[in-house]
Amino acid sequence: MLDFILPLLGRLHPLLVHLPIGILIFGILLIFMQKKNSTGFNPVIRLAFLLGAISATLAGISGFFQYQFEGFAWESVQNHLIAGVISSIGSFYLFTRIKDETIFTSNIKLQVLALFLVLTVTGHLGGNISRGEEYLIEVLPAEIQAIAGYEAAPEKSLEIPEQGWEELVFYGEVVQPILNKNCKSCHNPRNLKGEFNLTTFEELLKGGENGEVLKAGNPELSALFAKMILPLEDEDHMPPKEKRQPSKEEIELIKSWIAAGASQNTTLGQAGVDEKLLEPFFHKEEIPFYPLTEVAAVPADTLSKLRSAGFFSETVLQGSSWLKVSCINFPGFTDSDWILLKSVKDQIAYLDLSATQVTEEILDSISSLPNLTVLKLNQTGISGRNLEALSNCKNLKMLYLNSTQLSLENLSGINQHPNLQKVFAFQTPAGESKNPVKFSFELETGNYSLPKIPADTIVY
Amino acid sequence: MSSIEKLVFEFEMQKLQKQTRRHFLMDCVGKIGGLAMAPLLFSCDPGSNPAKSMGLNLSNRDLNPLSPLAPPFASKAKSIIYLHMAGSPSQLELFDYKPELVKNHNQPCPESLLAGRKFAFIRGVPNLLGPQANFAQHGESGAWVSDFLPHFAKVADEVSFLKAVHTDQFNHGPAQLLMQTGSARLGRPSLGSWVTYGLGTENQNLPGFVVLTSGGKTPDAGKSVWGSGFLPSVYQGVQCRSKGDPVLYLEDPSGMSRDLKKNVIEAINSVNQEEFNTYGDPEILARINQYEMAYRMQIEVPEVMNISDEPAHIHELYGTEPGVESFANNCLLARKLVEKGVRFVQLYDWGWDTHGTDHDGSIDMGLRNKCGEIDRPMSALLLDLKQRGLLEETLVVWGGEFGRTPMQENREGKTMGFLGRDHHVDAFTMWMAGGGIKRGASHGTTDDFGFQGIEDQVSVHDIHATILHLMGFDHEKFTYDFQGRPFRLTDVEGELIRKILA
Repeated sequence: MLDFILPLLGRLHPLLVHLPIGILIFGILLIFMQKKNSTGFNPVIRLAFLLGAISATLAGISGFFQYQFEGFAWESVQNHLIAGVISSIGSFYLFTRIKDETIFTSNIKLQVLALFLVLTVTGHLGGNISRGEEYLIEVLPAEIQAIAGYEAAPEKSLEIPEQGWEELVFYGEVVQPILNKNCKSCHNPRNLKGEFNLTTFEELLKGGENGEVLKAGNPELSALFAKMILPLEDEDHMPPKEKRQPSKEEIELIKSWIAAGASQNTTLGQAGVDEKLLEPFFHKEEIPFYPLTEVAAVPADTLSKLRSAGFFSETVLQGSSWLKVSCINFPGFTDSDWILLKSVKDQIAYLDLSATQVTEEILDSISSLPNLTVLKLNQTGISGRNLEALSNCKNLKMLYLNSTQLSLENLSGINQHPNLQKVFAFQTPAGESKNPVKFSFELETGNYSLPKIPADTIVY
Repeated sequence: MSSIEKLVFEFEMQKLQKQTRRHFLMDCVGKIGGLAMAPLLFSCDPGSNPAKSMGLNLSNRDLNPLSPLAPPFASKAKSIIYLHMAGSPSQLELFDYKPELVKNHNQPCPESLLAGRKFAFIRGVPNLLGPQANFAQHGESGAWVSDFLPHFAKVADEVSFLKAVHTDQFNHGPAQLLMQTGSARLGRPSLGSWVTYGLGTENQNLPGFVVLTSGGKTPDAGKSVWGSGFLPSVYQGVQCRSKGDPVLYLEDPSGMSRDLKKNVIEAINSVNQEEFNTYGDPEILARINQYEMAYRMQIEVPEVMNISDEPAHIHELYGTEPGVESFANNCLLARKLVEKGVRFVQLYDWGWDTHGTDHDGSIDMGLRNKCGEIDRPMSALLLDLKQRGLLEETLVVWGGEFGRTPMQENREGKTMGFLGRDHHVDAFTMWMAGGGIKRGASHGTTDDFGFQGIEDQVSVHDIHATILHLMGFDHEKFTYDFQGRPFRLTDVEGELIRKILA
C-alpha cells in the first residue's frame, strides 16, 4: 500500500537539494563576515552547519531514491552522488570542529572553502542531470558558444543515395538514424525515460516499462509506431507535443520497416520498399551555380561607387562575394566605361550589358573576368567576331546574345568551351540561319510560333 | 532593438500617422505661447527627432526603399509573373481529367462526399456533371490538357502542374486574399509586396510591383490583393491601365517643361525632407521616393508600356492588338516588364466564375470563350520568355483562388438553364513554370470525381513557401515585425513543395 512513499521521496529531491545549499552557504558567509578574534556568530554558525548537514543527508537519501525509481543510469549520476555524500560528511565534520569559542584560523577557513567548492560541484552536476549539460549554454549567443568551444551538433537528418539504396540495411542505416534524430535525446542509456533505450537493436527489442514496443509485421500494434501517429494532443503521443516532431515521411519508413518484419539485417531492397517512400531522403548533389573559388568580398564603398556611377550592383546572395552588375539604368555605357568595373573584375559573376553602346572590343575586356558565369549582351551591336576571347572566362555558363548581329560562324569561336551550357541567339543572323550546327552547348534560337487554328476565332 | 523597443517605436510611428489637422489646431492653443520660449529651450530638447531618439539608424534602404537587396539564399528566379484567373476556372474542364465523372454524369452526388460540407450555392443533393471538354495527353510528359486549351497543350512540357491544391475559403474575396496575401482577412501584405520588400527592384526607373488587369473588372477582393498591408506603402502594387495611358498624368502638361517639373519636385521633396527631419516618419521618405520615381517613370514607362513597337511576329504569337484592354496585351507587357527588371508582375483576368447562371457563365460555352482569350497569350508568354532566356530566371504562376465542384450547380435547389459548377475548395489545379521549377511534372492526385486530393495535396501556404524559396527566402525566417510579433507570409504554416523543384 505504501509503495508510493519512496518514489515520492525521490521526487522531492529537487526540492530538498536547495536546503543544504542555502543553509550551508549562509553559515560559510557568516564565518567570513565575522570580525577577527570575535566569536559572536559562532552559535548561529554551528546551527547552520548542523541543519545543513542534516538537510544534505536527507537530500542525498531522496536523491538515491530518485535514481532508483526514475530510470537514471548509474554512470550519469555517480559523480553527483559521490560529491553529495562528501558534502554531507564534510558539513558534519565541520559542525564538530566548530565550537562556540572557536576562532577561525586560516586552516578552518580553507576547509570551509573546500566544502563550498564540493557543494558547488554537487549542485552543478545535479543541474546537468536534470536540465541537460547544454542548459546554460543554449541561451548564449552563437558567437559566445563558439568561443566556449561548444558547437551545437544536432543529429543529422537521414540521407539516402539515389543510386544503390537497395543495399542499405533497413534498420541500421535508415531506421536507427531516424530514431537517433527524433527519439534518442530522451531514450538513451543516460536518460531512460519510460525505462526505454532505443540506441541499439537489442535494447529496442527489449522495450520499455510497458513492455515490448515492436510487433514484427504489425505496425499498428507496435508502440514504437502507434504512439507516433496518435493525435498530437494525446497524452501518449510520442515524441511529446512540445518536442520536435518527426516528418510524416520518416514515420512512414518506420511503419514499413515494422511491416517488413522489423529485422536487424534486412536491406531496403529485400524489404521491397517502394522507392517513392525514399524519395524525400535522396541526397541531391547540388552543384553550385557560381564558382566555388573564393575571392575577397567587395568593400561596401566600392559597391556604392558602382551604384552612383549608374550600375545596378549587388551580391548574388547575402554574404557572397559574387557580384551581379547590370547596366539596366545605364544605357549610355560604352567600351571606355569599362574602367569603372576593373576594381571588381574578380568578383563579377553576372554581367548584363544589354542595350548599351558597347562594341566588339568589349569582349576583350570581358575576357579578363575569371569568374564570369552569366553574360548578357542582348540588343548590342556585337557580331561575335572575337567571341573566342570568352574562352578565357572558364566559368561562363550562360551567354545571352539575343537581338545582335551574331552569326553562326562566329559562334563556333566558343564551341568546346568547358562550362558553357546555353547560348541564347534569338533574333540574330545565327538564329535565322537555315543550317543547324551542332555545338558543345545548347543553342536557343527561338522563333517559336503558334499556328493559327479555328479555335482562335470561334466564339461559342 | 529589443522587442519592447520595437513595439514602442511602432507605437510612436502610429501616433505620428494619426496626427491630423485637429491635433495641430489643438496643439496651437497650448503651444503658440510656448513658441516664444522655444529658442531658449531648444538646446534642452534632444528628443525632438523621434527617428534619432529611438535609436533608429536609417540605412540606405530607408532612404531608398526600393533599392535592390541580395536574397538571403541562392535564388532560382529573379522575377515573378503571376497569372490570376479571378473567379476561378474549372480544373475539371482544363487539366484534371476524370473518366469516372464521365461515367457518372447526371447521377446524384454520393452523400458521403456531401456530408458535413457547405457550398456557396449548391443545396441538397446535386447531380454530378461530367467534363464538358475532351481530354488528351500531350508532350513528352503526357500531361492531360483539354481541347479548351489547344495552344497550351503544346507547351505543357514547360510547366509543373499542382493537381491537388486546396484552400479553406469558398467566397471569391476571402479566397483571393488568402491566395495573394496568405490570410483571408484584410491587412496582410500581398505576395508581390513581400517580394519587393525583400529584394527591392533592379530597374530604378520602374515600379517594382506592377499590376495589370483584364476582363473588364478588378478582383472581388478589391485592391487589397495587391496592397502592402503593414509593410511600408511603397511596396504596394502599382496598377497600370492596359488601355490609353498606362499611368495617368504621365505626360507633362503643355507649357510645363521637364526642367520646371524637376524644380517643383525638388522643392516639394526638400520640404518633405524637413518634415522627415522633424518627425522621423518613414512614410515621408516613401513619399519623397514616390515623387522621384514618378519623375523617372515619365521616361521609361511610356516606352516599356507601349507594345505597338513590337515586331509583327510577336503580335502574331501573342494575338495582341494594341490599344485595347486584353489579357493578351497584358501578357506581352508582362514579358516586357520583367525584361526591364521589374520584380513582380501580377495579372488579373476577370470572368471565370462559371456558375451556369447565363451563357457567359456556362461551363460549355462561356468557359470555352474565356479559355480562347487566354490560351494563345499564356502559351505565347511561356514561349517568348523561353526564346529570350528569361524563363531561366522568371517564375510564372497560374491559377484561380479555388476550383469548381464536380457537381452541377443547383442554385436554391433548382435545375439551371446552363451547365455550371459551384465554388470548390477541396481540390483544384494550378501550374508553375520557369526559374527553378521542374519541367513536365505533375504533382498531386485527386479522387475519382476530382472532389478531393488523395495524394500530395498542397495548401495555399505551401505554394507561397515554394515561391519564396525560389526567390531566395526561407519562408519561416522572412519576417516583418508588426504589433509586437514577427509576421510571415505563410504565418505558421507552409511546407516547401520539393517535388516540383528542378
